Amino acid sequence: MAMAVDNAFNGVAVSNYSTSTNNSDDDFHDLFDSIMSIDALPYSPQVVEVDGGTNCNSPSNPAEDREEEEEEFKSLRLYHLLMAVADAMFGDNKSRELAQVILIRLNELVSTSHGTNLERLTAYYAQAFQDLLDCAAVSGGVPNKPHHLHRDDHSPTDVLAAFQLLQDMSPYVKFGHFTANQAILEAVADDRRVHIVDYNIMEGIQWASLMQAFVSRKDSPPAPHLRITVISRGPSSRRWIGTVQETGRRLVAFAASIGQPFSFHQCKLDSDESFRPSGLKLVRGEALVVNCVLHLPHFSNSSPESIASFLAGAKTLNPRLVTLVEEEIEHGPTIDGDYKVQFLDSLERYSAIYDSLEAGIPMKNRARGLVEKVFLGPRISATLRRIGQPQRAATAAEENCLWGERLEKMGLKAAAISFANHCQARLLVDLFNDGYRVEELGSNKLVLGWKSKRLLSVSIWASSSSSSSSSSSDSE
Amino acid sequence: MFHTTKKPSSMTPHDRPMCVQGDSGLVLTTDPKPRLRWTVELHERFVDAVTQLGGPDKATPKTIMRVMGVKGLTLYHLKSHLQKFRLGKQPHKEFNDQSIKDGMRASAMELQRNSGSSSTLMERSMNEMQLEVQRRLHEQIEVQRHLQLRIEAQGKYMQSILEKACQTLAGENMAVASTAAGPFKTTSNNMGTTSTNLVPDAAIKDFISPHPPHTFPPFQDMNNLFTSEPPPPPPPLIDCLKKPSPFISGAGKAPIFWPDDLRLQHLGTPSATLVPPPPSIGSPPDLDSLQLEMYESKPPPLSPLLVGNDAMHEKKFDTSIKLERPSPRQSSGHSDERVNNNNNGMPNNSNPTMSQPQGRNSSFG
Repeated sequence: MAMAVDNAFNGVAVSNYSTSTNNSDDDFHDLFDSIMSIDALPYSPQVVEVDGGTNCNSPSNPAEDREEEEEEFKSLRLYHLLMAVADAMFGDNKSRELAQVILIRLNELVSTSHGTNLERLTAYYAQAFQDLLDCAAVSGGVPNKPHHLHRDDHSPTDVLAAFQLLQDMSPYVKFGHFTANQAILEAVADDRRVHIVDYNIMEGIQWASLMQAFVSRKDSPPAPHLRITVISRGPSSRRWIGTVQETGRRLVAFAASIGQPFSFHQCKLDSDESFRPSGLKLVRGEALVVNCVLHLPHFSNSSPESIASFLAGAKTLNPRLVTLVEEEIEHGPTIDGDYKVQFLDSLERYSAIYDSLEAGIPMKNRARGLVEKVFLGPRISATLRRIGQPQRAATAAEENCLWGERLEKMGLKAAAISFANHCQARLLVDLFNDGYRVEELGSNKLVLGWKSKRLLSVSIWASSSSSSSSSSSDSE
Repeated sequence: MFHTTKKPSSMTPHDRPMCVQGDSGLVLTTDPKPRLRWTVELHERFVDAVTQLGGPDKATPKTIMRVMGVKGLTLYHLKSHLQKFRLGKQPHKEFNDQSIKDGMRASAMELQRNSGSSSTLMERSMNEMQLEVQRRLHEQIEVQRHLQLRIEAQGKYMQSILEKACQTLAGENMAVASTAAGPFKTTSNNMGTTSTNLVPDAAIKDFISPHPPHTFPPFQDMNNLFTSEPPPPPPPLIDCLKKPSPFISGAGKAPIFWPDDLRLQHLGTPSATLVPPPPSIGSPPDLDSLQLEMYESKPPPLSPLLVGNDAMHEKKFDTSIKLERPSPRQSSGHSDERVNNNNNGMPNNSNPTMSQPQGRNSSFG
């Protein structure tokens, strides 16, 4: 291992790198090469700006070509180091000390506030790894909720600013919300009463546009009475900007201002964060919709058990529709147990997100830095925690990725994405940089991606026993 | 087909009424007005009316005329236009999704061309195809319209959040403001690494009211905070705003000016309307350069969003209107004037510094 690290330091060719297990050598080389080579699939992060040209560093003269080579060299080295840490942390021959040493070296090279996308990303990964190390050291192998400075203690000001920026720079927020809302609209087109159970309401922004859509639909009954029940956690849970009550008040005010009949409720989770459907107040004749947004911009502070219990409980209620927004992971633990694949996949994903944010506002890093710090840093940590403990789950169903598959296994059936929905998503995404793509996966999933990397998916499900969703294909 | 006394075979969709046998006589002699020009707006209203009536098949010129309620529009205008519409001729329809539009338009045109002289049977199936294509095009336009409304709604909601946060900010800083070393320049979205933790959690809970009746005084002070003036020294200001924060800011020298800036952003469109930086009036170069960096890039294509449905504006979401700063700024600051200009209208008025016009005819792709 030490030899590998030295080689990384000296930038010797990849072939000299030896991991702890020989079998994974070839895999690693292949994966590594595929990441580093510019024109291969899967998505290659912007080491050299060949794609898209959205990066303002594209070189144009020999001196800059050399710079480019240096950049590439540096990036390679960072990858080496990151992989080395991953191996030391997750591989078969775990070595905390080695990981620590590499992390120290990494911290000399990168920082979260300076440098290229890759450098900053690496710094966040390094931080996340460090957290894992620290927690593991403290609690003997089972990382509890990390309490690193940069994660949980953002001031509401920062969070709000970062959220605002995220919305403006990128379509992630709106894509998830609008697609889910459109599906809801179509499913309840003829209903007079609608009840939405929202898992993670944050500030309730998703519902503003839904209410507006209800109010302005022309050829349907007037706006239905909307009830939103928020699943709230205990006081120990992390707050975003305001409390759930705040959010409720705000929604009530907004609804009043546009003439939408509305009421707001809370349903508290148990102390162990499990969901009891009996805690919900249900009204006869209302269309029940379950909304679950698990990815940006919502924070990943829910344990997989909590999400699982929520989804299971939701299913027992036979909702008309379940909308799920989650990270689109192509190599999750259910598919491939190898941590390396997951790790590299996560690197690709976050690189893509970084690149997409850069395309959103090609300026200096400060604004992006805030978004990275508030949103992406924690997500990276959560991802690493997940990768680091694949064996913790008793069954595959317990793992907190690919919730859509879980829903399918639970017996919910896929509900189709309408033409209008797909159209809206495309139009929305067109408003931003044209590196974003929307594609339809399966019949019930829309996926937002950056260049060739899929990032965020919205899938819609219906109970097999509930009345089928309205066949209206209009957007209202 | 026109249901007047003409030979059907002489009717071609491409021809203007005047060229059509028999029909031309009717149009010209009985219609005193000059030939009607189907502008984008008029056509959109037409399309609206047709949709309301259930599509080009169900709509009749008479009902369309009634629904549209446009003065001076006669049945003849409508008949002609409806036929063209049914056959897929779309002179004014445009939207963002170029590839779909092109593909559909190409196929529609081709079908139209082909069907010009063919038999009735073929015409009918061609027509069906064209109609289908047309319906999709139309649906896409509807979707786009709704998308704009939804984005605006979301933007308004965000404004309410910002406003509340501003209130708490203002409440916190009212004492501070009076002792501030001086107003400083508004930078836009200088989201530096934060060094402030200005909003204690308790304060957020206290600010409940959705319709804040007393926005003016706090905002006045806030204005003082964020008003520009010939060069104030940045360090004292930062000290005033800075409170002990749990985490360390990296390179952040500049405090966060986000409340105003974010609102400025929202004044235009919910999307990234970047207010062009006010000309430098000698404020600290640090802030200036940051600002300029912010706006080096061209904002994403926002034009469709600027065409808002005015119904949204009239909604009584007054809290967002109150966000605008009614109080005149004391100091000069170009930024203030500009912001004031922005603030004179509804929240979603387009930023006057942006070149997009307010009307509905702004570029639709």
